[in-house]
Amino acid sequence: MDVQYKINRLEATNDIRPMVNRHWADLRSAKERGEKVGWASGPSFMFPYAMGMKCHFMAGYASYCGGIGAANDVLKVAEMTGDLPETCSYHRLHMGMAEAVKRDLPVMPEAILPLPDLMVAGRYCTEQSHYAEGLYRRMGIRVVPVELPFVFRKEDRPRIREFVYRQFTEVVIPALEDVCEKSFDYDRLSEILSILKKTATIRNKCWDYFKTKPSTWTLWDYAVSMAPVIYMMGDPAGIPFYEKLLKELEERNEKGIPAMAPEGEKYRIYWDGWIPWAFLGKFMRKFTPNGALCLCGRYPWEMFPHPELLDPEHPVDTVVDYMYGEEAGLAGNMAPKHSIDFISDLIDEYSIDGLVMFSSKSCRMWNLSYLDVIDAIDKKKGIPGVVIEADMIDPDMVSDSQIDTRLEALFETIDGRRRK
Amino acid sequence: MEEVLSKIEDITSDPYTYVAGIKERTEKKIIGCFPMHVPEEIVHAADMIPVVIWRSNESVTWGHAHVPPYDCGITRSFVDDAVRGKLHFMDGMVFHVRQCLQVGEFPLIIERNVKPAYQGILYLPPIYEGEAVKSFLRKDLESFKDSLEDFSGKKISNDSLKNSIEIYNENRSLLQRVYEIRREKPGILRAKDVMRIVWSSMLMLKEDHNELLKELINTMEKKPGGTENDGIKVIPVGCLCQTLQFDFLDMIEDLGMIIPDDDLYVGSRYFANPVHLDGNPIEALADRYLTKTPLCPTKGVWDVHWGDEIIKMLRENKAKGVITIRVKYCPPHTCYYPDFKSKMVEEGVPEVMIDMEHEVISLEGIKTRLQSFAETMGGV
Repeated sequence: MDVQYKINRLEATNDIRPMVNRHWADLRSAKERGEKVGWASGPSFMFPYAMGMKCHFMAGYASYCGGIGAANDVLKVAEMTGDLPETCSYHRLHMGMAEAVKRDLPVMPEAILPLPDLMVAGRYCTEQSHYAEGLYRRMGIRVVPVELPFVFRKEDRPRIREFVYRQFTEVVIPALEDVCEKSFDYDRLSEILSILKKTATIRNKCWDYFKTKPSTWTLWDYAVSMAPVIYMMGDPAGIPFYEKLLKELEERNEKGIPAMAPEGEKYRIYWDGWIPWAFLGKFMRKFTPNGALCLCGRYPWEMFPHPELLDPEHPVDTVVDYMYGEEAGLAGNMAPKHSIDFISDLIDEYSIDGLVMFSSKSCRMWNLSYLDVIDAIDKKKGIPGVVIEADMIDPDMVSDSQIDTRLEALFETIDGRRRK
Repeated sequence: MEEVLSKIEDITSDPYTYVAGIKERTEKKIIGCFPMHVPEEIVHAADMIPVVIWRSNESVTWGHAHVPPYDCGITRSFVDDAVRGKLHFMDGMVFHVRQCLQVGEFPLIIERNVKPAYQGILYLPPIYEGEAVKSFLRKDLESFKDSLEDFSGKKISNDSLKNSIEIYNENRSLLQRVYEIRREKPGILRAKDVMRIVWSSMLMLKEDHNELLKELINTMEKKPGGTENDGIKVIPVGCLCQTLQFDFLDMIEDLGMIIPDDDLYVGSRYFANPVHLDGNPIEALADRYLTKTPLCPTKGVWDVHWGDEIIKMLRENKAKGVITIRVKYCPPHTCYYPDFKSKMVEEGVPEVMIDMEHEVISLEGIKTRLQSFAETMGGV
């Protein structure tokens, strides 16, 4: 008889929703309290935070909107106001929101963002610049852009690091000082990073429970828990949240309770690319009946994976090194060639059976050279992979049958290799 | 004139054979430069031949084992050509990996499947404020120069680079003259011939192309052309990185519209802005890159509106409408387009957008749109 798989849900993750709601409610009401508001793309929001600004983070807002079911309406506003359907859905989401606020169009009240006093546009993905440009052109919003290149050759890293450091110190910080009319608060940035360091250290202990066989939690559990180690950094509430999560994982491990009932997962899956924020339930329903559990991925492992390297005493350097440091600088993993080594390490560390590369039709940031990356990893590690095409938040770009067929092919390939 | 145009047509009808032939004839290395911003002058100064990588006219086949169908035409077509071995004559390739995300696809695909002897990477930053951008750009160009020296075994002196820049500047100025004559004598060249002329500049030795242009200009100057009242003038805009199917251009003209100028990459954008040679040549090349117009949506320019620039061009040419040619799956153009469109509406400029796909399924729909566009402007 076929095994009936189902997910054992965690209790601790129930605490995240109120925390996240509080964060966005605080941002929504910031202007009423006379506080400055920032928007940010790329990992640059910690600089406005240090100045006491309330700040949004591009991907974080998309995940929130997707999670509360507000994304589709906002995307429709963007299309109504001129954006073309093939435009990056994060771009459309933000332009749609800005247009909704400007024109007073009805969208879910919980999704409303106040227009910013300053947009810090980290151009990590080249498209992250385009919506900031749009905000400037359409609404006159002040933008301070920062180029954050992926590192394609290791020998280029030092000069790129210097370039990024200079942009933060020579352009971003002075712009913030100008907008906030006060000197940059390096002490507060250090404090934010200290809290982050503690939170991410506990988070890493939680990651160890992805390594157990069977695993005690799923990538989706972690995906919904990422806010404290990214856009809610500096909020001390992240520490007890992860402590509680860790305790529950320890207990599960002691009692032998796997993430997937009845006896644990059949397939251990690596997930590459964005998290499909608006469709988490849909994707869980595609993996779970097959006994497949997603465990790790490049994007979720982007949230300060090496807290031991964070040095709050040198806050700007440590932020730059997080992306461009000699040791584990994350911008190197974005180049397809170097992603092969990074993914290979995760395969070993988390005993992965197969790769699912989530290709967003409207955003290629994580999808570069996917088919060659899969081929290279298969040759190197003997681990098969498939590409599934969808979107993070746009339902018009999600085709069930294509996804089902490819996942089926992956599971059959893994089975076939196990039989050999 | 027909003789020159016929030669240019031969070159652009089969660029593969032509470029392979140059290599055989000159015994020089060919370096494929992915459009749009690789400074070809540095390659030229290393005594190698830069050619701008092009979109083929064939359907993508093997390439789809490497790139998704929702990448733009030139991305898919170039990868297809490369993995099928059609670019075997290229000794090296150069990619500006921060131009758009899709260019970031190439380094690994090319390294694994094509393995040219040289692969250059440029990070050319967007034109953001601050000295850091300028300094990084100069270092990036220096690093590119060093890598070419290593590969070619030839030291690039300031004098040799200045010499190359002069040859390229001459080419820009000659192409500019061709455009001026076209403006003075509407109809003297078909739009597709103009595009072929610019494209041939991307494929030929610049010295040879300069000679060809001088011959062409000489005959164009003597030949009578049409008058300003022969039709409704329109400006095609966009089509970044790649050639447009010539049928589109024919269709515009066959519907009675006149193209006095353009804002296309394989058009006026390619030869805009000479390099000002009054100092260090690398800095001069950096300054050209940092020039904000013609506005390129890949370069992060904030304080100049593409729409304003086109309206200026429209007025200079006494043109009435704009035909936007948006390459399907080109994010920089796609993201900018709504603001461009708004500007056209705001200024009362008739504008129509045509999506250009690599594999054109039907020209009929495009013809209908262009026809009604011409009619709304009072033509046809």
